[in-house]
Amino acid sequence: MSTLLPAALGLLRQALLLAGIAVTVFLLIRIVPGDVVDAMALEGNLDDEAIAALRADLGLDAGALVQLRIWAGRALVGDFGDSLRFDRPAAELILAAAPTTIGLAALALAFGLALGIALATAAVLWPRSILPGLVEALNLWSIALPTFCVGLAAILVFSVWLGWLPVMGQWLSPVIILGIDIGGQIAKPLHEDLKETATAAHIRTARAKGLSPARIVLRHLLPNALTTVVALSGLILAGMIGGALTMEVLFGLPGLGTLAYQAISGRDYPVIQAVVLVFAAGVVVVNWLADVAQRALDPRQRA
Amino acid sequence: MFARAMPAPRRAGGVGGVTLGLAILGCALLVALLGPSLVPHDPLAQELAARNAPPDALHWLGRDHLGRDVLARLAAGTRISLAVAAGATALALLLGAGLGLVAEALGRWPSFLVFGAFDMVRAMPSILLALTLMVALGIGIWPLILALGVAFAPHVALVARAAWRREQAAGYVAAARVMGAPRLATLWRHVLPNIAGALVTQAAIIMPRAITTESVLSFFGLGVSPETPSWGRMISGAARFAESAPHAVLAPVLALCLVTLGFALAGDRLRLALDPLREGGR
Repeated sequence: MSTLLPAALGLLRQALLLAGIAVTVFLLIRIVPGDVVDAMALEGNLDDEAIAALRADLGLDAGALVQLRIWAGRALVGDFGDSLRFDRPAAELILAAAPTTIGLAALALAFGLALGIALATAAVLWPRSILPGLVEALNLWSIALPTFCVGLAAILVFSVWLGWLPVMGQWLSPVIILGIDIGGQIAKPLHEDLKETATAAHIRTARAKGLSPARIVLRHLLPNALTTVVALSGLILAGMIGGALTMEVLFGLPGLGTLAYQAISGRDYPVIQAVVLVFAAGVVVVNWLADVAQRALDPRQRA
Repeated sequence: MFARAMPAPRRAGGVGGVTLGLAILGCALLVALLGPSLVPHDPLAQELAARNAPPDALHWLGRDHLGRDVLARLAAGTRISLAVAAGATALALLLGAGLGLVAEALGRWPSFLVFGAFDMVRAMPSILLALTLMVALGIGIWPLILALGVAFAPHVALVARAAWRREQAAGYVAAARVMGAPRLATLWRHVLPNIAGALVTQAAIIMPRAITTESVLSFFGLGVSPETPSWGRMISGAARFAESAPHAVLAPVLALCLVTLGFALAGDRLRLALDPLREGGR
């Protein structure tokens, strides 16, 4: 009970946030001078009559509030309207693009977590080696080098100069680049956390009992650090969505980022709204899950 | 790779790192202020016969896909990229700290509303938010500063609120209140000077992010106008010709990396205390 109530309240708060975002984005996009029909009229020559007919057909002639009410009613049942460009439901486009983005995020997170946890653990086990320095270096790397730049540099080096990888449509570079970024963000706080826990009483007891260092780290230190990892993962995953978006466009992967980019350059309102909402929902859900998981893992936070 | 240069027991951003970072930033600032007048070429002048020409004695960094001098564009781009980032950071501080603190000082409801709005902004990835805002505002330098400022304001607001709440517990705020000082006057005269340090830290965190986001937006075609030589525009223009003229892409990419590295090294000490973007802000 004590865990359910805060979780439910948190969920309600997040749902309100999402509704607020939906309305804001809807209105924001409509204050823009020039809609999709204008863009189309510039590309192919439409006369005034055809323009009016097209607007009426797409429902763009009604007032913004009327459009909002109609759109919100449909969005609640998962109907985000049709793409103005592709003549397909926006929801369909999103469903088609989502696996790429989710796959990219999941692979990058898995690689980053493995790298960060392995490095931080090894650095605690061998504090006099080069490893703690490597933790710092990796952390500096992820703070100092934006994934956008590293991605461009990787294209120049591995695709243009060495010719090892194709520029477009490959997953290796984006996963490794995002993964290293995540690993750098996780390794340092985790390393600090592990070093601090290493001085705790139960670790001293375990050491006095004669347990091997590896066993102490795996059985006693790491479970304690799990909350740190979960909390960080939530934040990193939410922050990485922006990075994944850039990577997709850079490496030509057909995910939500590319869809958003195309929709924004084509003034495709229903798709822009749907994509922004899906991204925001993703951030909101990840934050909520991280919050719930943290509370479940750490009994001290339940009070 | 850094580890060999920096011995393990010392922090990566030790005294040497801070000095190096400050030196990089100082150079960037010098280039932004003086660079365009030192390079004897016009960043906008095209020479189509010399498209994608490699570096030579006269054009140290070569020419881009329209035959423009890369060094001249790099210097002009440094000025624009740094100016946009500085403007966006100032706006983020003003909006975030200003709105956040005034709302907090005015009481429960204003605070609830303002921070609810900030939470909404925060739920969107800053790139996506800035992209959406740029669609609504149109491209150009001022819309770009506005979009980036709004995108980064909520992080400042959270830090300002945390600092404000900490200061609330301090004796001098209670003393000012007991003496009948108005809330906003207390905020301005007593609290603001005390939390200025935390806000400066935020500026050091936001600035490199604003530079990067500007580049990404311009790369997507939504930042500054196409003819303006910013780093992002240089990258997006030259990227299609990376095979024949890698130097035109490499120059702005390296400049971008150097400046973000400079901020990371110089800001290391500042960042230790408060970073809601990386360490969990609430």
